[in-house]
Amino acid sequence: MLMDPTLGRVIERWRDGDRDAFEEVVDRYGLQLLRTARLILRDQALAEDAIQETFLKAWQRIGSLRDEDPGPWLTRIAMNESISTYRRRHRFQALSERFGRLGGGKVEVSAEARLDLAHALDRLTAEQRAAVALHYYQDLSVEETARMLKVPLDTMKSRLKTALRRLRELTGSEEAFA
Amino acid sequence: MSDDFEKNLREHLHSEAEETREFPRRLRGRIRDGIAPRTRARMAPQLALAGALVLVAVAVLAVRNPHVIFTDVPSTIKSIFQQQTPSPTPQPFTCTDRSGGTIGAASQLSTIRTAPHDGYDRIVFEFSGQLPSYDLSRQDSATFVRDASGQSVTLDGSVGIKLVFRNTDAGSGVSADAKPALISVKEIAQIGNLERVLSYGIGLASSQCVRVLELSGPARLVVDVATTASASTTAAPTPLPTQPAATDLGQFTCLDHSGGADSGSAMQLTHVRVAHQAGFDRIVFEFAPQAGATAHLPAYTLSRQASAKFIKDPSGQPVTMRGSAGLRIVFHGASGATSYSESRDQTPNLPVVQEVAQLGDFEAVMSWGAGLSRASCLRTLELSNPTRLVIDVQTP
Repeated sequence: MLMDPTLGRVIERWRDGDRDAFEEVVDRYGLQLLRTARLILRDQALAEDAIQETFLKAWQRIGSLRDEDPGPWLTRIAMNESISTYRRRHRFQALSERFGRLGGGKVEVSAEARLDLAHALDRLTAEQRAAVALHYYQDLSVEETARMLKVPLDTMKSRLKTALRRLRELTGSEEAFA
Repeated sequence: MSDDFEKNLREHLHSEAEETREFPRRLRGRIRDGIAPRTRARMAPQLALAGALVLVAVAVLAVRNPHVIFTDVPSTIKSIFQQQTPSPTPQPFTCTDRSGGTIGAASQLSTIRTAPHDGYDRIVFEFSGQLPSYDLSRQDSATFVRDASGQSVTLDGSVGIKLVFRNTDAGSGVSADAKPALISVKEIAQIGNLERVLSYGIGLASSQCVRVLELSGPARLVVDVATTASASTTAAPTPLPTQPAATDLGQFTCLDHSGGADSGSAMQLTHVRVAHQAGFDRIVFEFAPQAGATAHLPAYTLSRQASAKFIKDPSGQPVTMRGSAGLRIVFHGASGATSYSESRDQTPNLPVVQEVAQLGDFEAVMSWGAGLSRASCLRTLELSNPTRLVIDVQTP
């Protein structure tokens, strides 16, 4: 993606080690990244940790940014950080999810146990939430979402489909669209 | 395939995301600390050892000769701390507005010095007491609005810098207008000194980036203005927010205004009305809460400026409205994207208010600009049922 000239100059100053220029980039992209990270991590403090790490890595790795808008590049770093932060903090849960997937069966949800969307999102895996956040919150296409999370397109299609089906099950919405 | 469930999901995600209203300052600070040079951290063991040795030496001295401890040592320590701080490592020149100082610190400006240096002109504002809170803003003309009177003043040069100090005033020996023979800095003039808000306009020969240093012992704000093009190749000057202060116009004040509250869910803009009343032009922003939310007036700031040029948010595109002065109105936690269906560019052609147009509506930060026929003082009213912000712009 091409940069506007003003942003290009800011990036050049960042490349030269100008911390003020870097802070301009933080101001420009920070809120959107933080919101996306929070959708994935479901926790403000963890999201802030992930975004702090994102920008610190970005500061160190400016050499790997090509002549392009830094937004997608920062988003990729933020997604990796968010998912790995989630895995670090929820190892036991991640293990449970893995065993759950091996079981493969559909989870029946009683009417009493039906959840609102917020709680249903809590039940997705971090990878599913990242896909949902990028596709439905950041409005990226399925192809862009796949590129951002570095997974094959078919995998992403399947992941989004699975996530949606799971959310419908958990919220009791599947009947209406069956 | 998109259906109602996906639509609900999309709306839910946006609503959940907007619970994070702004990028937290503490996080910005953590990131800033994270990229700062690590010299202090690397020296921590050595500093700890040196501190321990000093404590041992003081303890031995206290036992052998208490007089030295209670008289000589404090005076020595005092003299050490009264020494001027050495010049910090030079920072890069940047083309951005700056703020700093200590909020609430009371002080008095004791002198202003200027000097040419290789690659930059230096202006030093020296204070007795602590460095006060300050805002430095760049503007694309050398015309400023004087506090209190609201009169325009044009300094030597083609662009300018405005410097506002809070909770301070100027000592009797401080020049109110100086024209140093420097490359970039052409004139430094006091444009306000009222109610402990002290403002200076700095006329510059051309648009240049600046470097700001805060020094102590004595407290000084050092403003370096680049004189070479290489240091100033970035970014056009930001629009010119001004921050005058005065209350000598009855209920109207020549101050920037702020108020409201950035809390709860974003308020929805429903109407913008503009009309003339006896003695003032009135602009009304009316809001409604989202379904199930409590009504409140969103946080707002009104910034007066000496031209009708604005920068659109977030595109950064310049826009020039009718008139020769302007008023920028920014709401935090408000949007009209889905709730406001009236004109987003009104040209009422009133005595002072010539145009009212939306400048941005992005991430719950909504900004509007008003083009004014002249710089005018303001009055704001916060009303409820329905929630409204009323801005009265004084007319001649």
